[in-house]
Amino acid sequence: MNSAQFEIQLIASLVAIACAIPGTFLVLRKMAMISDAISHSILPGIVVGFFITQDLNSPWLILLAALTGVITVALVERIQKTGLVKEDTAIGLVFPALFSIGVIMIAKNANDVHLDVDAVLLGELAFAPFDRLTIGGTDIGPKSLWVIGTILMVTVGLLIAFFKELKVSTFDPGLSASLGFSPLIIHYGLMTVSSVTTVGAFDAVGAILVVALMIAPAACAYLLTTDLKKMLGLAVLFGVFSAISGYWLAHWIDASIAGSITTMLGVVFLFIYLFAPSKGLIAVIYRDKQQRIEVSLLTFLLHLKNHTEERERHVNHLCEHINWQKVRSQTVLDLALKNNMIHINKNIVTLTEKGDDFTSQAIDYIITNEDAQIEDMKDDFFLFRG
Amino acid sequence: MNLQEYFSLVFSDYTLRTITLGTAILGAVTGMLGSFAVLRKQSLLGDAISHAALPGIALAFLITGAKDSNTLLIGALVSGLLGTFWIRGIISKTHLKSDTALGLILSLFFGFGMLLLTFIQKQPNANQAGLDKYLFGQAATLVESDVWLMAIITGICVLVMLLFWKEFKLLLFDADYTKTLGFNTKFIDILITTFIVLAIVLGLQTVGVVLMSAMLLAPAAAARQWTNSLSKMVLLAAIFGAFSGVFGTAISASQDNLSTGPVIVLVASVFVIFSFIFSPSRGLLFRQIRFIKNRSDLQLQKTLSFMYHIAETHENISHPHTIKILNNFQGFTRKSLQKLVDKNYVTIDGTMWSLTKEGFETAANLYNQNIKKDE
Repeated sequence: MNSAQFEIQLIASLVAIACAIPGTFLVLRKMAMISDAISHSILPGIVVGFFITQDLNSPWLILLAALTGVITVALVERIQKTGLVKEDTAIGLVFPALFSIGVIMIAKNANDVHLDVDAVLLGELAFAPFDRLTIGGTDIGPKSLWVIGTILMVTVGLLIAFFKELKVSTFDPGLSASLGFSPLIIHYGLMTVSSVTTVGAFDAVGAILVVALMIAPAACAYLLTTDLKKMLGLAVLFGVFSAISGYWLAHWIDASIAGSITTMLGVVFLFIYLFAPSKGLIAVIYRDKQQRIEVSLLTFLLHLKNHTEERERHVNHLCEHINWQKVRSQTVLDLALKNNMIHINKNIVTLTEKGDDFTSQAIDYIITNEDAQIEDMKDDFFLFRG
Repeated sequence: MNLQEYFSLVFSDYTLRTITLGTAILGAVTGMLGSFAVLRKQSLLGDAISHAALPGIALAFLITGAKDSNTLLIGALVSGLLGTFWIRGIISKTHLKSDTALGLILSLFFGFGMLLLTFIQKQPNANQAGLDKYLFGQAATLVESDVWLMAIITGICVLVMLLFWKEFKLLLFDADYTKTLGFNTKFIDILITTFIVLAIVLGLQTVGVVLMSAMLLAPAAAARQWTNSLSKMVLLAAIFGAFSGVFGTAISASQDNLSTGPVIVLVASVFVIFSFIFSPSRGLLFRQIRFIKNRSDLQLQKTLSFMYHIAETHENISHPHTIKILNNFQGFTRKSLQKLVDKNYVTIDGTMWSLTKEGFETAANLYNQNIKKDE
């Protein structure tokens, strides 16, 4: 690994961290699509900034473009407030219009602007180490490293300083307003940080990857934890992991670094989406199935308790009376037997003492409308779950 | 070429005719289907789908090696549909919210698509150029067969929409009711979504992945301002869409260095802004005018009722009073007094005013109505 490779990975990781922090809050505040809007609508800001400064890494350009991002958010809110269209439509109207203006501005000035739309959308991380920052003749590293490093420091500083305010206003906007934290300031503060991060990162990794780096790590972390600090930590971890593994993927198949980092994020998300404990797809489907069987079991036990006549308690009767298929009846019977709720004598089913106990308690909960309590009760009674 | 030349050439020149027809049809079909997307609050779905179509285009090229636009569009359709249903899966099966799901699929699919595109570019195969036109679209690459394809698909869309009009409308406004009526809501839902995906995929070649969502939203959002009826809205959206297409093409053809996609989007945005401001029932301008008119009406009525209270104490209702007493009443101006005179409620004689019989009756009724409202 030579120094250019190391620098690329370092820049990618710093971008990933800088994006994951505001991204986590955007996901929690249900504003993920705003990041997409910002990443597109900063284009005119970048173009105008570039006309003025002639330097893609100038801090003025970054501030100007970030301002366009904040204006986008304000514009979306303004349109939404008129009540003419819904919020999502407002977002969908504003950013393509601004993006089109940017594209046209670039096209009309193609001769004197060394800036093309592909570069804005996709970035080129591979070239980042060649644009060096020199102070007094000494080379102190790639420019974009300094840009994103500064943004990251500011973001982390703000996060630590306002962690409590951000947390309260994210989870309970009403409470935070009554405690005296202006929701408007926190909202626009977050929007400004997101815009600045997007602008700072776009030239290294492109506008679309910024969206991926903001949303995907946070979404993965959201599926794994319910603790804000852990979520931030996990999001940073996933971001950095995808950044570094994505770099090596790109190296291996000789393709765009931004594209392969996003692809790695996709792979990580797919894995977590499927296998996350308790919130992943497989866990959810398994739990659905388990609950369906346990509800059936409860229905069956209630049926037994209600009927003393042998005809109603015959095994074959289950199929016709409760209208279950053969397989399902068998599963329910097996589960009940395993848990010692029933015993079967010559195909006649009777409740055991334990089963009787369980059913009576369940009835108590059902008639007092506290069905949720049955879930806790299951832990006491069940040796095997459905 | 200026705009006039464009319009004189549009019927004779093959390229211009094809492109104009293509963008017009595209605008019409996206406007039509976009109405459903906007009303179903799925505006941003279009954005996600169009980005999600990119890897499909690249994969179709990698597998078949063909650059024929129909093959690539089938790839785009498949990956667009995959993206759409994955978004649904994420929303329904996990805790993630719809905005996160949209952003995720959008950026992840697009990133993967870019990976494939750069991978293709580095292949030792000279045939790969031109795939990146799907990013921003190039209306200039439209040929007659593309326009035919668009026309046929638009025809099918219209046919299906007419056939399922009742079901679509019901599902749009009251999904639960539709279910209780016994319609297969899942099927109708998938049908609408599939057609939305189809319309988006159709536009990729012309407008491109990035701006396609605006084609879907803008005509529909503009049409929404002019009417409350679904059929009129769909029709209007189709017209707005078609005009955006034609004007956009005209403007971009008449200038150098202007790509068609962004211009069409800007024209559509102008339609939206115009509708937002000038729509008679919902527009901002008329809303403001109505607001001011209501306020001045209210002031007039208040003045009249103040006069009525004074006149009430006299036996002769037309007993003259000095204008000075009115100064005690807030909201009274010389202008509002003049208005009352114009309406023949009040007569003025020098510095004295008196209520007419008509004015007295109106004021009395006003008062009664107020009481009624209070009850």
